[in-house]
This record gives sequence, C-alpha cells and structure tokens, in this order.
Amino acid sequence: MVIPLEGLEYHPSGGLADQHGGPAAVSKSAPLWVRVRKNHWTTRLIALAAFLVVWWILTTPWAWNGDKPIMLPLYLPSIPSVWNAFIRANTIHPIAEGVDREVVGEYGYYLWQHLLATLQRIGIGLFFAIVIGLPLGLLMASVKIISVSVEPYINFLRSLPPLGYIGLLIVWFGIDNTSKIWLLFLAAFPPITIATIAGVSGIKEDQIHAAQSLGASRLQVVSSVTVPAIAPDLITGIRVALGFAWTTVVAAELNNGIPGIGGLAYLSGTELKTPLTITCIIVIGITAIVLDSIIKAMERVLTPWRGKA
Amino acid sequence: MSRDKSLVVDGVRQFFGPKNSRVQALSRTDLVIEPGQFVCLAGPSGCGKTTLLRLIAGFINPSEGQITVSGSEIIGPGPDRGVVFQSPTLYPWMDVASNVELGLKFQGVSKDQRRADSERYLQMVGLTDFAHRRTYELSGGMQQRCQIARVLASDPEFILMDEPFGALDALTRERLQNELLDIWRKTGKTILFITHSVDEAVFLGSRVLVMSPRPGKIVFDEPAIFSKPGESIAAEEIRSLPAFLELRERVRSSIQHSH
Repeated sequence: MVIPLEGLEYHPSGGLADQHGGPAAVSKSAPLWVRVRKNHWTTRLIALAAFLVVWWILTTPWAWNGDKPIMLPLYLPSIPSVWNAFIRANTIHPIAEGVDREVVGEYGYYLWQHLLATLQRIGIGLFFAIVIGLPLGLLMASVKIISVSVEPYINFLRSLPPLGYIGLLIVWFGIDNTSKIWLLFLAAFPPITIATIAGVSGIKEDQIHAAQSLGASRLQVVSSVTVPAIAPDLITGIRVALGFAWTTVVAAELNNGIPGIGGLAYLSGTELKTPLTITCIIVIGITAIVLDSIIKAMERVLTPWRGKA
Repeated sequence: MSRDKSLVVDGVRQFFGPKNSRVQALSRTDLVIEPGQFVCLAGPSGCGKTTLLRLIAGFINPSEGQITVSGSEIIGPGPDRGVVFQSPTLYPWMDVASNVELGLKFQGVSKDQRRADSERYLQMVGLTDFAHRRTYELSGGMQQRCQIARVLASDPEFILMDEPFGALDALTRERLQNELLDIWRKTGKTILFITHSVDEAVFLGSRVLVMSPRPGKIVFDEPAIFSKPGESIAAEEIRSLPAFLELRERVRSSIQHSH
C-alpha cells in the first residue's frame, strides 16, 4: 500500500530551502530575468511583491472611486489594518479608543497563547495517534484476522469529514479540551496506521531471513529489523497525519475554542473582525509550513538511508 | 561416513503452488555434506538450486523428507547456518561495523568483544577503512564482502552462499573468489556455494554438484581436487591444469545433457 501525496517525494539532494529552489549558483549581479529563470526564490519574492501590490491597489482609497477603496474593508481589510490587528493581538491595549480599561491580546490571550493552545492540542492528539496507530498498524500487518476486520472501519473513519462527527464528540466528551483532542486524534491516527502497514509489507523477506540466520529471536527481529525498516514510512505517515490534524483544527475549535488559533479565526470572522481573521489565517498557514519543514528535517536526520537502500 | 556433524538431506521433495496445480521444484534429493567441504552446486537458472539452499537455511520447509544437522531436524533458520544472499541484505540503518557485529549482538556477546571481532573480520575482507560508513555508500563488491564478514563473525558451522558473486564484474568476482578460498582455508568452514558458472564451481569447490532443471535433481557429484585446506596455489596455475580443464568440460557437458 502506498500513500500517494503530492509534494512528498524524496529529493536526495534537496535541502530545506532549495527543495524547489533549483540551483543556487546564480550570481547576484546577474540581470533580473536571468535570476528569475534560474532561481525560484527570486521568482517567489517577485510573486509575493505582486500579490501585495494587488492587495494594496484593492484596499487603498482612490479619488476616482469617491475616496473609497475598490473592496470595502469589511471584505478585504488593508495591509496596515491587518498588521495593526497582529500587533493588537500581541499586546496589552485599551479595550476601545478613549477607554481606560486595558485588555490582553484578543479574548484575554495573546496571539502566541492562542497558537500554543492549538499546538498543545495537536501535540497531544498526534501523540496518542502514534501510540495507538503504530501498534495497531503492526498488529494489522501481522495478524490477518485483525487486518480483515479492522481495515474497513479505518477506511470509513478516514473518509469522514471531521465536521461531520464533532457534534457527536461534544455530546460524548463535553465542550472542553477532551472532545477537541479526540477529534485531532481521530484525524491523525488512520494515516499513521496505514503508513505502518505499508512499511511492514515493504520489508524485504530476506532482510528478516538474514536476521533469523544470524540468530535473532522474534523480539530481536522486531527491534533490529522491523522497526527501523518501517521508520521512513512511519515518518511519512506522521507528516500526513500532522497535515490532516492541522486542517481539522478550526473544526475542532469551532465550539469553545478560545484560547486556540482556529477558534480565534472562526470567532473573529463571526464578529466581522476581518483583519484579525486574516492575521489568524496567515499564522495558521505559516505554522503549518514550519511544522512540515521540521518533520522533513527530522526525516533527513533520522532516516538518511531513505531512497538509497 | 561420519554423521555426527554432517548436514543430511534425506528424501526431500519440494512442491510450490496450490494442491491442484502444484509445481515440483525439487525431485527426491538425498545429499550428505561433510564438515569442512566446500560444495559447489552448479546448474542453469531456475533449476532449483536456490530452493535447496533455502530449504537447508530453514526459510522454507520441505514438502516431503527432512534435513538434519548433527542428527537433529532443521525446523527454521538458525545461527549454525549463515546465509550470504545473492543481493546483499545489509541493514542501511546501521554502519558497516554494526552490520558485521549483528550476529554477535543477537548472541549476547559484550560490546568490546564484538568490536574486536568485527575489526578482525573487516580486516579479513579488506573493509577496515569502511567500518563506520553506511552500507549504501559501499560498492556492490564491498557490500558482498561485508555480508561475508557478517556471516563469518557470527561463526556458523555452515555457510550457505546463493550466487554471491553473480552480479559482480569479472575482475571483482575473481578477486572475491580468491579471498573466499583464503577464508575457507583459514577457517575450515563447511560451505555450500551456489553458482551458474561452471568455471567458478570447479575452481572453488572441493566437491562439485550439478543440478538439472524442472524438477531439480542432482545429476553430477564429484570431488574437485584443486583447492584443499592448507594449500594455496595461484589461481592462474589452477585454471591451466589439465585436470581442471578436464573436470570443467565434464561438468559443462553434464549441464548441457541435463536440459
């Protein structure tokens, strides 16, 4: 079984930064069009600048438009107002202009506290997903009866959108952290189990035979061959699981999600605080990319033989 | 015939596939391998050589008959029968030295003793400088040498080799053949060596077997006198001996006639 995923291919020589960055050997003094052709980072910077310019054009008041921006701030806030929302969410500030009472960040928490609360939930959910998903995968790979009877349920669970069963989880586990962690766990463990099964079925029979002929006991075969052999697949599974959990996070935090970056994104949207919503979206997106990069880096450090043997 | 430490294949037949459409891989085979022999088993591809080796290794169980070592039946793989696989099955998550030490680790040998042993065997196969490299950094020939060192280090009574030099270029192959003969002379291990090369079989073996295909059957079994423990004659000299050429010709014709 293989989990096909776009962008997950292994690049033997690809560093973190130049995964899609192409060769970096382009002189700084080379003309711009040469750099665009040769260096993807230059292209990306230009694309980002173009994006910001379009944003700026759409949100700046224009005289010919009756001193109004093309898109109203409620739909698309200006760049400075998003920046202000970001600053506001990270500082102690007056509750409103001209009022003495000061509050912390947004809804009583700094932005980083919202983010941390979410990361904690994901961390705990992912932890249990590994603790349950890995042994379950090993069991399913080695005991036919378990695999035949459990696999349909895992596929069923995997196909459900988390929003479909969050209500049920709240009824079962309450509105607090427990139901959120359950949701993240349920999103994260099927990919880990499936990756484990794929890893075990990918072990070459002779690698097991070789260990047995060297005198390995059953337990020694598992610890010296099975576990290291599935490590690359397992890490890929964890990477996929983290991605699923992360995209599930807003659903998990729809109810009583403060503190939590997903809850903040949802709540600020319902209260028409669009600049704050956009701030949250940017933070959620960047965090996801950073987490993914961390796992990719771990992959290179922990399983350097991947794709080579 | 001393049966105390011999490996005895007794009335073994092997079938594969479901009962109604089963294929016979090995017709009734009887074979005794005496301690210290270097048995070379030659034959065309797909004739059942590897099946016989895997039966002796304990990776598969015979459909009929039994295989015994020192009188006790083989029921699975064991450290008394080391296996050198056709394609090296080294573990890429360990460095070269740890691969070589693995058998000793399984046997509970102390770390210092393991280090000392692996250094000795790595030196024997000429990989001392690569002890702390990853296995995938080695060339094919080096990987095969590492595999041989790993098997030697775990000190089996029998070494089963399945076309170990089949994928190597001619020069590397010849060098490894000489190294293997050296090792055999030094250690006096019992070796079963499978090859599809007649020249290799006659050059290496102290006894040459030929297997005919479909179903596999041993049709030729003669001692070869060219490499004896304690002696070392230059490889070129052996290959130019009239007796060597004569035996090689007879082995070749027995393979051709068995088709």
